[in-house]
Amino acid sequence: MALRLLEGPSPPRIVGLDLSVPKALEGRLRFHRVDLTGPTADSVLAELLEKERCDALLHAAFFTDPHPDREYAHELEVIGSLNVMNASAAAGVSKLVVASTAQVYGPHPDNPSFLSERHALRAHPDAHAIRDRAEMEQLLRTFATRHPSISVVSLRPCWVMGPSYTSSVTRHFESARVTTLLGYDPLMQFLHEEDLLDAVGLALTREVAGPFNLAGDGLLPLSTLIQLAGKRTRPLPHPLLYRLGYLATVARTGDPPAAFYDYLRFGWVVDTERAKQELGFRPGYTTREAWMSCVVERRLKSYR
Amino acid sequence: MSEIEAASGNGGPTPEQLAELRSSLAELRGELEARFGPQRERTGASPFRVLDELGNSLRSGLDKLGVSGLYSGLRRLVSAYRMDNRSLEVDEFGSDPLYLEKSRVLLDFLFDRWWRVKVSGAEHLPSGGRVLLVANCSGILPYDALMIAHAVERFHPSQLRPRFLAADWIATLPFAQPLLTRLGGVRACPENAERLLRTGHWVVTFPEGQKGAVKPFRQRYQLQRFGRGGFVSLALRLDATVVPVAVVGAEEVHPVLLDPTLPRRLLGVPLPVTPTFPVAGPLGLIPLPSQWRIRFGEPIRWDAVAREKAGDALYVNRARDQIRNTIQLLLDEEVHRRTGVFRS
Repeated sequence: MALRLLEGPSPPRIVGLDLSVPKALEGRLRFHRVDLTGPTADSVLAELLEKERCDALLHAAFFTDPHPDREYAHELEVIGSLNVMNASAAAGVSKLVVASTAQVYGPHPDNPSFLSERHALRAHPDAHAIRDRAEMEQLLRTFATRHPSISVVSLRPCWVMGPSYTSSVTRHFESARVTTLLGYDPLMQFLHEEDLLDAVGLALTREVAGPFNLAGDGLLPLSTLIQLAGKRTRPLPHPLLYRLGYLATVARTGDPPAAFYDYLRFGWVVDTERAKQELGFRPGYTTREAWMSCVVERRLKSYR
Repeated sequence: MSEIEAASGNGGPTPEQLAELRSSLAELRGELEARFGPQRERTGASPFRVLDELGNSLRSGLDKLGVSGLYSGLRRLVSAYRMDNRSLEVDEFGSDPLYLEKSRVLLDFLFDRWWRVKVSGAEHLPSGGRVLLVANCSGILPYDALMIAHAVERFHPSQLRPRFLAADWIATLPFAQPLLTRLGGVRACPENAERLLRTGHWVVTFPEGQKGAVKPFRQRYQLQRFGRGGFVSLALRLDATVVPVAVVGAEEVHPVLLDPTLPRRLLGVPLPVTPTFPVAGPLGLIPLPSQWRIRFGEPIRWDAVAREKAGDALYVNRARDQIRNTIQLLLDEEVHRRTGVFRS
């Protein structure tokens, strides 16, 4: 994200905050080392923000994949976010953009065909990473009502696909035989990585507040997507799959946990109307294009 | 490696050069491993790999026994259900035009031969505007919805195919859920109905819901409570014409003898007992070939005064009960008119 802003026509002043300096950005921006799980992280961060006179803060210190250490993940994602919120209130930041996920709505058979931002956050009870994110969203909502002077934005993208983006989700779809649930074929939507960055940029610059769903246009059934990629499926009955998923988690084989498969069982399609109306979000890639860009890139990789 | 060897065949590199190439390749690999660590084996003990291996050995075992025909037959059956070459575009509710086109043979057979559906009152179907078809609910699987959609498509001059709302728990049933989605089913909830109506679809709804689906056989054609009137306030708000529909015959395809509460508690889905299910196993799922009658009633249009009252619970409930009574009357007439359950 920072790279893209730096390469833009009028690079704003960017300050990076992380545990270590990312390679691509070394020497190109001012950088401070912050550990959000530290005991005085909030005051340290507030001091830094004040010193640098920041007006917008992008909070994306979350794990892309569910972290095996639940305790640490909770410390970082929930408590760390709370530290970020408190610090930005103390430092008088005017804009706080938080990276959430559309998975916080949860996969449920009684979801409407399109989930809007008003819908309750019913994260999967067994997916600790997503439950943490939902808890963080609750904290964020309370924070936003308590500090009306700060415009708080939370971005809820669906699964992100693209040539360079990797996560446990893309890894799941990378294998030649994709595990699916026997007898289920939910409608899926994907977001291209470029579109996600666009949306983050819009959220930082536009006068908006509140949660925004993000997804590419159009949707396709899971089976059609896998067919498009020329892959085979490994359909398994769901009771067996949940047990295998649990086994894989215990044995740490790198396969996704049991809760993941519910996201392949029931639909959790989001309505991006609000992002389009208020944020001016225009996805450049449809669901199919995002998916194909991911698939094509991975296939080329195996020939390099 | 085979390329190198092939190249050496037609006057390419000599054996010495080949050895050199191989050693440099090994060197390169060693360097890569030193830099990025040894190649990660993801094959490890993943339970999915184990399963794949099991499947492969099972298949080769079957081949040895000479019953591979069984396996390939099964595969054909599966791909027939999946209809692998489906359309690559679906609409926002997942309806697949190609799948529908291919299923038409079966739907036509059900409509004309199996249930010999008699349609009356098709002249009552409005020619345009937003339309909400309200029908009596019968049976676990929405055969009635499919047949109503078929009847409208066949008898309405514009040949549009209405979408139907399916009960929540259909989404938890494996196989039924993707099948119905592709054929135009949508989960029944106010948000979906509103979106469908706003985007110009006709919608078939069954306000009885689960209460109607599992009512015992002796209560057939007696309408249950009509939900909470959500469909009426939606129709008022969107100014949608309500067409009452009576379906006779559908309630005999799976006569419910018992609706035990234990499986419903255990599985979360109702598992009613019919004369053939679960006694006859999967064969018990075949619907009985009763003779059907679909009757469309006079459409109900709303005037300006009524449209104002979408938020008036008492008015909505009165309208709901009126629609319910209309459908009950249509049902009674049709039941009286037929001569037998299976005779046409």
